[in-house]
Amino acid sequence: MIRGTVVGQVWATRKARGLDGQTLLMIAARDADGNPSGRLVVAADVLDARVGDEVTVAFGSGARNVLRPGAENRDLLCDAAVAAIVEGEG
Amino acid sequence: MILGRVIGEVWATRRDPRLAGAKLLVVRPHGLYEPAIGGRHLVATDDVHAGVGDEVIVCLGAPARASAGGNDTPVDAAILGVVDRVDFDAGLMATPGAGPGIKRPFSIDLTAGARR
Repeated sequence: MIRGTVVGQVWATRKARGLDGQTLLMIAARDADGNPSGRLVVAADVLDARVGDEVTVAFGSGARNVLRPGAENRDLLCDAAVAAIVEGEG
Repeated sequence: MILGRVIGEVWATRRDPRLAGAKLLVVRPHGLYEPAIGGRHLVATDDVHAGVGDEVIVCLGAPARASAGGNDTPVDAAILGVVDRVDFDAGLMATPGAGPGIKRPFSIDLTAGARR
């Protein structure tokens, strides 16, 4: 997973099967030091994250487990999802 | 996922049988996005009837195999959706030394443009 900041939202009416109504957020990734890395990624969100929130994003097959946990989620077209909304870090 | 623009289509008669019927589009990722495989363009399967000029969301890596009808497809990039609008607060991702940019939140309505 990576850390990032929610900077926006992407709206798409025409989406792949299983993603109807799914919120898609724009996340600005952070580097190892916590600074913005300049990279952007689009991630699915089921935790109701808002613009400005610090989040962690899960990539790859793990992202599908956020949307629909279990073995029967391999038909979902999703490679990034918000896994946690960060309240603090040490 | 990343955002990009469809800039072309690829035709191929001789192809892996698991790709039979799959539409293959050429996508140029937007500047700030970087596909894991590098390069300035990629070829993605399309399940949502995107066309040249459309702004699209692209799913990369193993999850893209869900495209074209199965988990055993030889696919690593698939178009997940056609973008209608982007709401974006550029000030939140200001990078030190990145120079002047758009400081206020803005919204881009892509349905108002040159969509077919």
